[in-house]
Amino acid sequence: MIEVKELTKFYGSGENRFQVLKNISLKIEDGDFAVVLGASGSGKSTLLNVISGLERPDSGEIIYDKSNISTLSDNSLVEFRRENIGFIFQQYYLLPNMDVDKNVKMGADLSSNKDYKAIIEAVGLENKLHKYPSELSGGEQQRVSIARALAKRPKVLFLDEPTGALDEQTGRQILDYISKLQNECGFTIIMVTHNLNIAEMANTVIKMNSGKVSEIYTNSTQKTAYEIGW
Amino acid sequence: MRLGGDDMVVGVKDTAKLIGISIISCCAVLVCTMFLNFNMDIVSIKEDIVSEQVMIFYDAQVSTAKVVSIVSGGCLLVTSLIMLIFYIKHYIGTHKKELGILKALGYSNFKIAKNFWVFGINVFIGTIIGFCGAFLLMPYFYKLQNEDNILPSISVNFHPILLLCLVVIPTVAFSIFAIFYACYKLKKPVLMLLKDNLQMSTGVHKIKSERNTDSLFIDDLKRSVLKSKKTLVFFIVFSSFCFSAMTQMSASMKDLSSVMMGAMMMMIGLVLACTTLFLAITTVINGNAKTIAMMRVFGYSQKECCKSILGGYRPLAYIGFAIGTVYQYVLLRLMVDIVFKDIEGVPVYKFDFPVMLISLAVFIIFYEIVMYVYSEKIKNISIKEIMLENKY
Ligand SMILES: Nc1ncnc2c1ncn2[C@@H]1O[C@H](COP(=O)(O)OP(=O)(O)O)[C@@H](O)[C@H]1O
Ligand SMILES: [Mg+2]
Repeated sequence: MIEVKELTKFYGSGENRFQVLKNISLKIEDGDFAVVLGASGSGKSTLLNVISGLERPDSGEIIYDKSNISTLSDNSLVEFRRENIGFIFQQYYLLPNMDVDKNVKMGADLSSNKDYKAIIEAVGLENKLHKYPSELSGGEQQRVSIARALAKRPKVLFLDEPTGALDEQTGRQILDYISKLQNECGFTIIMVTHNLNIAEMANTVIKMNSGKVSEIYTNSTQKTAYEIGW
Repeated sequence: MRLGGDDMVVGVKDTAKLIGISIISCCAVLVCTMFLNFNMDIVSIKEDIVSEQVMIFYDAQVSTAKVVSIVSGGCLLVTSLIMLIFYIKHYIGTHKKELGILKALGYSNFKIAKNFWVFGINVFIGTIIGFCGAFLLMPYFYKLQNEDNILPSISVNFHPILLLCLVVIPTVAFSIFAIFYACYKLKKPVLMLLKDNLQMSTGVHKIKSERNTDSLFIDDLKRSVLKSKKTLVFFIVFSSFCFSAMTQMSASMKDLSSVMMGAMMMMIGLVLACTTLFLAITTVINGNAKTIAMMRVFGYSQKECCKSILGGYRPLAYIGFAIGTVYQYVLLRLMVDIVFKDIEGVPVYKFDFPVMLISLAVFIIFYEIVMYVYSEKIKNISIKEIMLENKY
């Protein structure tokens, strides 16, 4: 379980100092599909980065199964991410000089995953193993980044608007891959989006509004990527 | 970068990054001016020489001055040329998208390339400082060269031809060269410029990557980093080569020629080694900042990042050191056997093992400190900044 307690985060200093996260508290159960919903600039990405240990909060606690990561040293935080966390970003951030195989291996090596090729197959890229990111379409690049994140067998997968740069059709396909793989592997998903429809795929929805959590609710039934009709 | 206007591609501010060229051309001109000026001034006293003994000394002075200015000047000239090529290539590489847009808008290659003349400013700044610096040092230098007062006293004169050859011509030549080289580098289809790393997808590369599918990611990355910028491999080897050759040569110079020559060699060696090493490592880190940031996001430790990004260069640095050692031995052997052949009192030259060991030890310490400093830099690469940077 992930427990977030009274999280605050500021950016800037002096005159320009402003609060991006205002006293955020929430809980996410293991195996949840949580969606963080909110307008652009409401602090979703910042919340995601802080919960995942990429950034440090100014105050508050982030507790993973009783261990508080906000007190960890830099090196332990890297170690924590290595053991637990997977990331998928809107911009993919693939390594440009490495082919698909090597990009996925970057994730696989962290958990000594020898059969990462199965994951490349699962996202349907077995024919593009030795292509470079520049030779792939946006959807394919995002599938590589999914394979990279999953190959490291994370306990929690963080996604920051993973379909934001894709057309609807491809976006739906991506979401389908992700939820299918979640059903198989049972990791926790925390996904940021500003798309209301995608929220219907989640069982926990966290709505954010200018740095505050305005609403948290649970869906009794989760829709599949093809049912959300966006 | 601004679109439109004449300064749309490279501006004067970009020349700040080429400080390496300024430093190196400054050294080159400093050394060459001193020795060449000395050579020209010494001619005026040739008639006053009566004894044969003094004549031999005179000839020796003239030929060492020639050797030193050719060896150091030539070496430094080649380095600044390679650095300039590298910078332009690198600049075009990192600004591919903007340059591609300009081309797509219909700007001709030459119209874009002609802005690259500004890189000549670096050469001008370096050479003019070197030239003026030489004149400040010259009185001491003349005295040192003629320490024992064997020759009649020589006065310092200004030779405009040297100003032309060492400052004006290099500046103009470098500017023209920069324009033409940029023009040549821009001769690529627009799409090639607009898309990231399209040139990486060559057949050769692919075959190689298939062969080592069982190796670890960080080893693959190490190889890929080395392969993706071959010029940097050259710079690292060259840097340690200079360090090794020049420091060892300078120790021998002290015995063979003068303390002044030794100090000069040492200075050139250190300047060349430092500028090229810093240039190369900075480029490696900046060029791989995104990769490093992503590795850190995924939980690769600082040590693993360093190992894969910088570690591959270490063996090359030691190879450069070894080559430098051999080179300086061969060069000095030739110099002693040919140039100083007829001069009496020149000590016999043999390989100086202790000096090599000291030089190696200093090199190891120096290199590892630089690596340590840069590994701290890697640690401080902000993941967030890299991610924000990408959102245009
Ligand atoms: N590194 C930063 N420095 C200063 N301000 C930032 C930084 N990152 C984000 N912000 C600001 O914080 C606010 C929230 O950003 P973000 O979390 O990215 O929002 P969202 O993902 O919901 O669009 C925005 O106003 C943004 O401009
Ligand atoms: Mg965001």
